[in-house]
Amino acid sequence: MRNRSRLLDIIDKSYSGPACDEHEFDMAFVAAGVTRVVKKHGIKLDKSRIVQSDDDMNDRIWQAGVEFLESCGVYNTSTGRRMVFTRREIEEWVKSAPREAIIGEGRDARLERHRRVEDLTPPIIIGGPIGTPLSEDLYVPIMQSYIQEPIIDTTTPGTLDTTFGRQPRTRSPYEVVAAWEEVEMIFTAARRAGRPGMSIGCVQMGISEVGHLSAISWGGYRPVDWHSIAMFSEMKTNNDLLIKTAHSVRTDGIIQSFYNPILGGLGGGEEGLAVLIAAGLMAMQIIYMATTHSTAPVAAMKSATTLPQVLRPISAAIAGLSRNTPMMTDVMTSPLSGPCTTALLFECVAAAIVATTCGVARLMGVRSAAGVVLNHCTGLEARFNGEVGYAALGLSREEGNRIVKLAVAEYEPALAVQQPGKPFQEAYDLTTLHPTPEWQAMYDDVKERTAGWGLHFM
Amino acid sequence: MNIPPAYAELVTSIEDGEVEAGTAHTRQLLASGHSAYAIFQEAIVPCLKEIGDRFGRMECYLPDLILATDVVKGIQEVLKEGSEGSEMAPVGRVLIGTVFGDVHDIGKNIVASMLRANGFEVIDIGVSVQATDFVRRAREARADIVAMSSLMSTSIPYMADVIDLIRDSEGDAARFKVLVGGGPVTREIAEKVHADGFGADAAEAVTQALALMRQR
Repeated sequence: MRNRSRLLDIIDKSYSGPACDEHEFDMAFVAAGVTRVVKKHGIKLDKSRIVQSDDDMNDRIWQAGVEFLESCGVYNTSTGRRMVFTRREIEEWVKSAPREAIIGEGRDARLERHRRVEDLTPPIIIGGPIGTPLSEDLYVPIMQSYIQEPIIDTTTPGTLDTTFGRQPRTRSPYEVVAAWEEVEMIFTAARRAGRPGMSIGCVQMGISEVGHLSAISWGGYRPVDWHSIAMFSEMKTNNDLLIKTAHSVRTDGIIQSFYNPILGGLGGGEEGLAVLIAAGLMAMQIIYMATTHSTAPVAAMKSATTLPQVLRPISAAIAGLSRNTPMMTDVMTSPLSGPCTTALLFECVAAAIVATTCGVARLMGVRSAAGVVLNHCTGLEARFNGEVGYAALGLSREEGNRIVKLAVAEYEPALAVQQPGKPFQEAYDLTTLHPTPEWQAMYDDVKERTAGWGLHFM
Repeated sequence: MNIPPAYAELVTSIEDGEVEAGTAHTRQLLASGHSAYAIFQEAIVPCLKEIGDRFGRMECYLPDLILATDVVKGIQEVLKEGSEGSEMAPVGRVLIGTVFGDVHDIGKNIVASMLRANGFEVIDIGVSVQATDFVRRAREARADIVAMSSLMSTSIPYMADVIDLIRDSEGDAARFKVLVGGGPVTREIAEKVHADGFGADAAEAVTQALALMRQR
């Protein structure tokens, strides 16, 4: 890809950038920098709405993001230096982001492309539990429940709760063993679902570069899979992540970057969060030469992307990026509620409409029950998340906002105390891999109700 | 906040993150006859608690919390000059870090700031800390509580390693209480690794830390 030739420039910046104490970076560059650009650009989200459709404001958020990135850079915690970029570098390198890419192979190949705000073309639907812990005995059926859904274009697995009965440990031989077990199990699930060429988001068990390098190699994950590389909060990377980057660039992989800034953290409130999303996703295009750029922001006290105060900044930042860059973005539906709850499905409605109407290239979901409860995830909510994404095509952001607010009213009470719902084995028939009548009935009911709100399901 | 008017400017300097103003106001108060103890108990403790509570309600944000605790650190140095140490003894001493293999620190930083806001002395030993280093640093610091954060499920075994090391030593087991938290860490996991306390979020971490100190 044309944006990959700057790999050495990026590595050089890790060693040549200005030295900086980490606490100073946090307070003087991130916190103060965000505050300054929010004030300078007059950033103010409309709290009466969730989907932000003031494109003048959304564009200013993007401009503020560029300016903040120029002043702050990205901190490499391994070298204690800021990787800094000139305005020209930021503009040129962001412009060089791929507008489209083919993922997967054979009949499961899919074309993903940059989308505009209120675009009529569908986003790529990523269906998977995204890091949720899965027990070894249920890993294959759980993943098969996602991959078998026709609406799903690509998947990203859960994590293994144990590996051959042992506790996986990062940066240990167990990590390598677990990464390869993930490879074997996810490809088995894909074959069983009849979709062997599907692109897989990897390496979930490659927490450090150890598992990533090992499993993305001969016999393991392929160049047609998407290789996940994180930037951590706020605006930080390290050499482990750059090692992953160098490996994926040199193996011609599709790099999916992700950054999850924190509402109430160093960026402050909603306006600061919007700036961090914009700046962070652009930063990852630059330092990771990514193909796609994902975000799943959370609040300091509550780990869900479906809080209204998180959805607002997401909508503004994603719209700003969609309007002003060629970047392919994605947003994760990460609800607090779990399977066999209607709250989970309504959380999907809100997140999927926000993301789709604001111009994401990919719609990722669902990290049910915040992704922390063992086996609390099923393919049905991922199917629904994708269906809502498709149903949102043709919605204006105004109409989308109306429906999102209806959905929020349904699930907001459940945000106070997490409803983890039921584990997979109680939500699905393990022989047929179909939802139980209870879960199917909830899905049918919520789908009918939201259709009545104006969502036109296929 | 029910704080005597004499401390109004001091409180403002804490809320505004103004270290120099805070230390200057503290010196003025000491010079005008206010005791270090009274300044600490009647102004600083309730002020920090209020800021911590506001953060919990998301009425202010992490930078405000950090700046406030930075100001209080400066004020405490001034107060120590004019007091006996026990008058301003912290509620407890917490050693906090992210376990080995994990470099996430924001959650840990939030908890550290909230603990400071609630009267704890906090020694932050950073990220990706080996189990043996946790125990060694806890002994050196004479900590009351060892607090561990993890945002990755594959780092949770390293929490268990720290707890096992502590339990294997009679002295350490008697001295240290262990508090755990972080994204994938659940109440069930906390019980499984034999932690003494668990915080689902920063606010609960503070509640648990206070409860653990009461048990001592």
